[in-house]
Amino acid sequence: MGIVFTRLFSSLFGNKEARILVLGLDNAGKTTILYRLQMGEVVSTIPTIGFNVETVQYNNIKFQVWDLGGQTSIRPYWRCYFPNTQAIIYVVDSSDTDRLVIAKEEFHAILEEEELKGAVVLLFANKQDLPGALDDAAITEALELHKIKNRQWSIFKTSAIKGEGLFEGLDWLSNTLKSGGG
Amino acid sequence: MSGHDSKYFSTTKKGEIPELKEELNSQYKDKRKDAVKKVIAAMTVGKDVSSLFTDVVNCMQTENLELKKLVYLYLINYAKSQPDLAILAVNTFVKDSQDPNPLIRALAVRTMGCIRVDKITEYLCDPLQRCLKDDDPYVRKTAAICVAKLYDINAELVEDRGFLDALKDLISDNNPMVVANAVASLAEIQEHSSRPIFEITSHTLSKLLTALNECTEWGQVFILDALSKYKAVDAREAENIVERVTPRLQHANCAVVLSAVKMILLQMELITSTDVVRNLCKKMAPPLVTLLSAEPEIQYVALRNINLIVQKRPTILAHEIKVFFCKYNDPIYVKMEKLEIMIKLASDRNIDQVLLEFKEYATEVDVDFVRKAVRAIGRCAIKLERAAERCISVLLELIKIKVNYVVQEAIIVIKDIFRRYPNTYESIIATLCESLDTLDEPEAKASMIWIIGEYAERIDNADELLESFLETFPEEPPQVQLQLLTATVKLFLKKPTEGPQQMIQVVLNNATVETDNPDLRDRAYIYWRLLSTDPEAAKDVVLAEKPVISDDSNQLDPSLLDELLANIATLSSVYHKPPDAFVTRVKTIQKTEEEEYHDGEGGYSESHAHAAATGASPPQTTSNAQSSAGRSQATPAPVPDLLDLMGMDNSSAIVSADPTTPAGPSLPVVLPAATGQGLQINAQLIRRDGQVFYSMLLENNSQVPLDGFMIQFNKNTFGLAAGGPLQVPPIQPGTSASTLLPMVLFQNVSPGPPSSLLQVAVKNNQQPVWYFNDKIPLSVLFSEDGRMERSSFLETWKSLPDSNEISKDFPTFVMTSVEATLDQLAASNMFFIAKRKHSNQDVLYLSAKIPRGIPFLIELTAAVGVPGLKCAIKTTGLEMAPLFFEAMESLLKS
Repeated sequence: MGIVFTRLFSSLFGNKEARILVLGLDNAGKTTILYRLQMGEVVSTIPTIGFNVETVQYNNIKFQVWDLGGQTSIRPYWRCYFPNTQAIIYVVDSSDTDRLVIAKEEFHAILEEEELKGAVVLLFANKQDLPGALDDAAITEALELHKIKNRQWSIFKTSAIKGEGLFEGLDWLSNTLKSGGG
Repeated sequence: MSGHDSKYFSTTKKGEIPELKEELNSQYKDKRKDAVKKVIAAMTVGKDVSSLFTDVVNCMQTENLELKKLVYLYLINYAKSQPDLAILAVNTFVKDSQDPNPLIRALAVRTMGCIRVDKITEYLCDPLQRCLKDDDPYVRKTAAICVAKLYDINAELVEDRGFLDALKDLISDNNPMVVANAVASLAEIQEHSSRPIFEITSHTLSKLLTALNECTEWGQVFILDALSKYKAVDAREAENIVERVTPRLQHANCAVVLSAVKMILLQMELITSTDVVRNLCKKMAPPLVTLLSAEPEIQYVALRNINLIVQKRPTILAHEIKVFFCKYNDPIYVKMEKLEIMIKLASDRNIDQVLLEFKEYATEVDVDFVRKAVRAIGRCAIKLERAAERCISVLLELIKIKVNYVVQEAIIVIKDIFRRYPNTYESIIATLCESLDTLDEPEAKASMIWIIGEYAERIDNADELLESFLETFPEEPPQVQLQLLTATVKLFLKKPTEGPQQMIQVVLNNATVETDNPDLRDRAYIYWRLLSTDPEAAKDVVLAEKPVISDDSNQLDPSLLDELLANIATLSSVYHKPPDAFVTRVKTIQKTEEEEYHDGEGGYSESHAHAAATGASPPQTTSNAQSSAGRSQATPAPVPDLLDLMGMDNSSAIVSADPTTPAGPSLPVVLPAATGQGLQINAQLIRRDGQVFYSMLLENNSQVPLDGFMIQFNKNTFGLAAGGPLQVPPIQPGTSASTLLPMVLFQNVSPGPPSSLLQVAVKNNQQPVWYFNDKIPLSVLFSEDGRMERSSFLETWKSLPDSNEISKDFPTFVMTSVEATLDQLAASNMFFIAKRKHSNQDVLYLSAKIPRGIPFLIELTAAVGVPGLKCAIKTTGLEMAPLFFEAMESLLKS
């Protein structure tokens, strides 16, 4: 009985583990973001063929963050990770304007998924440090985010290299999840 | 009540797989670990849990080594069945191969090698490359083996990424285990490769010998096996190597001992000093004897190997015959092998002891063993002349026991003894005749009848004895019928009295009119004609003096023996079969692609020449001439086949239309489409990597798809036959397929004078069987080991009498340069030995060798730029000379 009680408590007052998927096209910066969040430093990465999973503790919430490879060949397997997901972090390379259309299509395809109906969506308009990067408003426009219905979402300007905007996004995410989004 | 009935439909039980799935995705680590254990347990008992692939793979990134190992185990099992999803594991492998813990790095690289999914191999190269250069020897040694595994999946990738060079570097590693594994890996790769990849140089030799002393037992086996392929430069080097390997003979591991024995035996070939050889033989005996104290299975393996060793060097175990005496509790397979070796070791010195043993065995209970023991006595009698009498007296004693199968077996061997020592022991015939009635086995009966026929003049009642058999003539097995026929004829010729005359009528009638057996009928007719035309001639034929026999049963052919000795301590030496007889190689197609690749590049001088020499045929057609002209100028020696010029016009069209044909595709037409109802076959014998292939191109010009292709070769001089089934896919109309059929030698050797004729039959499911003739160019048989040392060439040349020399002129041949001609010949394994000037002419000496060790010593005399070349050869196989010149002519012509 005692054990049940503790569990009950911990789930009520934080320390709960949220399953989060980091998705996005290849070379969007997903892996860099993951390790920036986890270790607080920039690591050199190679294209992720497969996945990375790390636990990130933030604001009393334990995030189990799954960073999935963005290559075209791997995208079909994203769906294997959809069940029980509370939140999606969708990373967009703001400087790669040519592929924003593809990014948009992939994003809306994700939103259509039945298994992700309840998931909160956090968008990172990444690579703001690069010249010619679009800002959050432009990304919102390009990804047609206004079409999102019945779902909590937000977009942040980030630079994984400089570490800007990431934790603001995570703040929003933890608050949203705590307030019952997940 | 009724309101709650719906609960029966929503059962809470979900079945095992969904339950496991849920547990695998649990947020609690312990639960996940337990779940993976359950999955592995299900997997081991044979349940299909492949549907949990992603869920299990998701547990792969963990700190927990135990969990990681379990997931890896799962991956090895199921990656093949989920090749697409296997890609999800790649990133984890990449991460793990950089883990600070060397155990995890090695585990990752080992598992990577075991995942045989082509799609992901490419991604695994970078981690592998890192691990090959890892600081930790454990990781390096694991990575070394991984290269061989990768080579099996994708050879090209391994070569492109320079892994072979990395492996070769590892031979110089300071850790002996790494060296051993690198050697094992390279040796394995070499076995599957067409090109020389791993050759031990004198530099690597010393590295290996050093590592040998330090590495583990299995590492020692790898190194010893690799060393046994090394050809020492001279006797001194061989002695040095052997000296450093000899301590391995003391090793407790049987595999090490046998590998060391193999290695020493092979190096001994080179050692000339008899003292050293005698010493080595002395040293090898105790370890071999020790092997026989192991458990029966190992004893058997040891005995099979010793059987080979004894045939090659009987002296090693000459004094150890006692250890081969059978123990009462030896398993039967060990006893049988021991008997075989006892026969081989039996000598005048120990025969009394051996006979005592054999006699003992002949009274045991196991029938097969008893028979073999009786036969062993006979074989000893044949082998040792001075002991023959003692052997026979033992046999007679055994016959007196009157055990049926002993008597029968004894009669069979006594027949052989009579053949070996004619007119010596016939006094015992009377004893044999006593047991006449008990014979019921065909071989024994046949033997007895032969004895009666052969010695009819000394057996008073020979006609009565034979007559008793004649009553049942039609019911007898063919073997007995044949003997009865011959014996009756002999009897008649020796005692042409009334009784035998009647008998012969009966027999001849039975054996001609009444029988279906063609052998019997043929023999009967021959006798009949002989007897009716010229009884004196019949006497000369039937009662001719027979050549004395010797015991060569269970004696292996010397070339086969050498091949088996090189494979001691492998399955091959236990089977007593060469490896290619039971290991089928599936690499032939891949080899073609490789060849093509090198051919296109043109930079690899060696393999390039090789490919052209074996794959290409001369530019016999006009449209083809252009493409091959360039090649035949640059590279020498295609082997032409001048047969069947009718279909030539077609062949070029096919060749250009079909991009999939192997390099040098201008194969001559052997079956024109007009003859083959639309099926055209182009084919030629070629030599690649020391093996003969039948390179074939089949084109379907008919209206129906053709499938079910099979091929058969008629008996021919070299016994060339298909080494496996013909692997041709169904051919749609208007398309073609090419294949390389591996050939084996000495399968069905046709007797008579050598001929280059090769008769081939090809059938498919749609058409009748097609027969066509091809030619065996002798040059495809020239083996890679035909190079002779100058000194041995000189010696052999001198030792052969002049009658073994034969020469032929090629008046039209013009030598453009000595080098070009030599290159041209070298490509066909004719090796240049020396050159001298004789006035304005160059005299070139070359050597070549065809299987079964027949060497050709060749002397070419020609002047550059002047038409005419004289080719003289000296050989022990003089009857091959016409074939040799035929091959030479086509080589020079191209």
